[in-house]
Amino acid sequence: MTTHRRLALAWALVVCLLAGHNAWLWLGKRIVPDTDILALLPAGERDPVLQRSFTHMVDSAQQRVVVLVGAASWPDAMRAADAFQAVLRPHADLLRADAGADAQAAWLDGFQSHATLLVGAADERALRTQPPSYWTENALARAYSAFGGPKLGSFRDDPFGLFAGWTQERAGETPVRPRDGRLYVGGEGREYVLLTYTLAPSAFALSAQRRAVPLLDAAAAAARRAMPAAEVIEAGVVLHAAAAGNQASSEVETIGLGSLAGIVVLTWLTFRSVRPIGLILLAIGIGFLGALSVCWLLFGRIHLLTLVFGASLIGVAQDYGLYFLCHRLGAARETGSVVLLRRLLPGLGLTLLAAVIGYMGLALTPFPGLRHMAVFSALGLVFAWLTVVCWFPQLIGPGTLRRGWLARRYRALVVRWPRVTARPGALAVLALLAAVTAAGWSQLRTDDDIRSLQSSPARLVQDQIKLGRLLDAPTPVQYYLVRGASDDEVLQREEALKRRLDPLVAQGHLSGYQALSNWVPSARTQAERLALLDGRLLGDTGPLADLARALGADDGWAAATRAHLRARAQPLTPDAFLRTPASEPWRHLWLGDVDGIHASIVALRGMRYASIPVLAGAADGLPGVQWVDKVGGISAVLGRYRTYMGAVVLGAYALVFLALLPRYRGRTWRVLAPTAAASALTLAILGLAGQHLQLFHVLALMLLLGVGVDYGIFMQEDPQRGDDAPWLAVALSAASTLLSFGLLALSGTPALRAFGLTMLLGTALVWLAAPCFTVTRKERHATSVYA
Amino acid sequence: MKRLSAATLMLAALLGAPAQAAAPVAKIQAMLAKPEQLCGRFEQNKQLAGMKKPLASSGRFCVVAGKGVLWRTLKPFPNTLRLSRDEIVQLQGERVAMRMEASREPTVRMINGVLFSLLSGDLGQLESLFDVDGTAADGAWKVTLKARNPALAKAIGTLTLDGGAYVRTIHMVEDSGDRTDIVFSDIKAGPGAVLPEEAAQL
Repeated sequence: MTTHRRLALAWALVVCLLAGHNAWLWLGKRIVPDTDILALLPAGERDPVLQRSFTHMVDSAQQRVVVLVGAASWPDAMRAADAFQAVLRPHADLLRADAGADAQAAWLDGFQSHATLLVGAADERALRTQPPSYWTENALARAYSAFGGPKLGSFRDDPFGLFAGWTQERAGETPVRPRDGRLYVGGEGREYVLLTYTLAPSAFALSAQRRAVPLLDAAAAAARRAMPAAEVIEAGVVLHAAAAGNQASSEVETIGLGSLAGIVVLTWLTFRSVRPIGLILLAIGIGFLGALSVCWLLFGRIHLLTLVFGASLIGVAQDYGLYFLCHRLGAARETGSVVLLRRLLPGLGLTLLAAVIGYMGLALTPFPGLRHMAVFSALGLVFAWLTVVCWFPQLIGPGTLRRGWLARRYRALVVRWPRVTARPGALAVLALLAAVTAAGWSQLRTDDDIRSLQSSPARLVQDQIKLGRLLDAPTPVQYYLVRGASDDEVLQREEALKRRLDPLVAQGHLSGYQALSNWVPSARTQAERLALLDGRLLGDTGPLADLARALGADDGWAAATRAHLRARAQPLTPDAFLRTPASEPWRHLWLGDVDGIHASIVALRGMRYASIPVLAGAADGLPGVQWVDKVGGISAVLGRYRTYMGAVVLGAYALVFLALLPRYRGRTWRVLAPTAAASALTLAILGLAGQHLQLFHVLALMLLLGVGVDYGIFMQEDPQRGDDAPWLAVALSAASTLLSFGLLALSGTPALRAFGLTMLLGTALVWLAAPCFTVTRKERHATSVYA
Repeated sequence: MKRLSAATLMLAALLGAPAQAAAPVAKIQAMLAKPEQLCGRFEQNKQLAGMKKPLASSGRFCVVAGKGVLWRTLKPFPNTLRLSRDEIVQLQGERVAMRMEASREPTVRMINGVLFSLLSGDLGQLESLFDVDGTAADGAWKVTLKARNPALAKAIGTLTLDGGAYVRTIHMVEDSGDRTDIVFSDIKAGPGAVLPEEAAQL
């Protein structure tokens, strides 16, 4: 007695330490769980350059809100946009308007000393193919023209209009134009004002979502008041995050409150007290805190998916408490709680051992995410178990609980429950179930596409698509990653890639590409171009000399102009370009030096989804060029996790079987059979229902094993069918698992729905199946003889 | 060859905010005839930086409301610039030297608007783009236009226009050093102004 009391006090000390450490982590250190799903890839496969490219492409976009305000005419669009802006202007601390047209005013200044080297693709082709007269005539027309003249500088700066052609080619990379001090884009019969905002707090911060979304709605409403026919198209990660958050919080309210109410009623009906719930929540809470503390100490980080999966521990962790409580309910008054615990300890120990073995199987996979989950889950269970063992006997005395209405009525059921025997009727049912299972499995398909997990409202998705189309914006999740040993090698490799992409643009697979080499040609290309210009235009007998004659220019004009043009042909480097204001929209394309590797991104505009295989193939055989498809990448990670997880589930069955064998001998299969049968049947039902199997179904099967083995052990520990304590523990545990996880089947989030549906079917089936595999004491003796 | 290109893009693109109409603008607006159709001759002298000899050219121009602008250089060699709502086309003799379509290049419509305003002397429209400073008296006026946007001012320099019922001269001084003088003459307005060959081109 005193020993146990000392144990309880020691445990209280441990719990205080855990609580303190957690408070320090969350409140002091303000830790944030990882959300990037690719962080779950094995460390060896994580590529720092690739990671950097994701950061460049996605993170900068994450905080932006892009708005198009459109109307049939430009003045109407401006009026609506003014109304929109006016609403947001006082809230610059939250949504700051990005610099618009004015920022682009001086964008050509940085090119003056390099202008001669900058030639568009069409002119470069013409330089190789057109006769000298073509260039002379063009230059003459430029010299005399009043309004088509070289407004980028004087005539002699660009007599052949090559730099002007290049600037127009660059302007063609985006349909956005400055107009009346605003940014303008047109399309689909409307004129739009483009407004971009940067969200100051994180797009995933709830407080930011709660303020930003109503503000944007109010601004859109103001725009429509100012101009009733105005169209407002919005896109931004914050809108999707807010929509997901709204869905989640409304689900927490309905599903969460529903399940909580259900569990409270259930417990009251069983124990005539809600105290057991408090105790079980306490055990689960300590399990969660303990797992988090130790995981953080071990790994120094925690992934959101680990927490989500860890939260599902509740399903298993509650079993230990319920098992004790149900036995307390059934035990005689004179049996002390500590004595009772000692009697239950073998069964309790085995349930913990089985679950930990199951979860440790995950630790053998090469995926850090799964390993974290394994450690987190196993630790959580150990902490919850220790809480039950150390504290429950002290907190629950013999007289604390009274048998409720449900506990009294429920015991009668178990006696009449059907059992698995060799009788023809039972065998026929088994055969039928086997046939259903086979039929269902044959229908089972898999689908790991991350997009099938997307649950954003249709309106947001439509807006996003329309905005992408109007702005001809590049996709942030599919692009080429180009690497080289030096900046210049990267540019050369970009140029090689672009030579492959040009025919694909012509074939309509994409509308264009953005690359730093569009702005800064490689040193080799710059040298070749200068040689080309010297040979085709600037020579002593070439178009420049012809032009001087045709214009009647004074002696020396041609030589002076040649010198002037050559002085404007200084080599341009990426570093120099990146320092100019013109580079601002393109800086994210340049990754620079990442651990000695130089890298850049070639982004794709107007890409067709159907063309992804063609575009992926365009990188084949090009050194240093890699096709990146983040959507495909995440889907592949999910697929591999699904496969590994499936293998782990099977392995866990084998390990748990071995762990239970010493105690249950010939009856061991009876412990596992209900769970195995329920899992098989669940998969079959999912198959028949046309569900596509993905990671979250398999994660649920893993949890189901943890839960189901508990039920199996409870039922086998107390072989007398008359004793209702295990039967009651199973029923309570299964019912609360159904109420907590099964109700997730109603969720609007596809991943949670998949998880919930599997738990709903599986738990219900295990509950029904568990008593079918029990044996009477007489039978037990018979089987022992065989064993 | 897309040689209008960025130069004119910027001209049209970097528009400043409209300002209050200065007093002479209203006066000048009242003097201008602003016919539906307007054609005439032009004599142009360009002084290019780095070249001593001025480049002289001459030809005809037309400004037709609702259609656009036709700028026909006849001497020393034929070259035609045509600006309409949907495109800008440059013809060198018979050959299309450049074509820019509004569907692909959104600024085409804006360029057209500015040039139309410039040749018809519509200062009301130009005021959105330029600071207008000038004098008007006895049926004659003279204005200096300075782009409000510094980048645009740098690109196109200073414009000086004078005239009466029509624009008579345009004088352009670019920051780069190139200068252009255009003198208009023989201006005709009304239905008979546009020659048949010009009507065919517009």
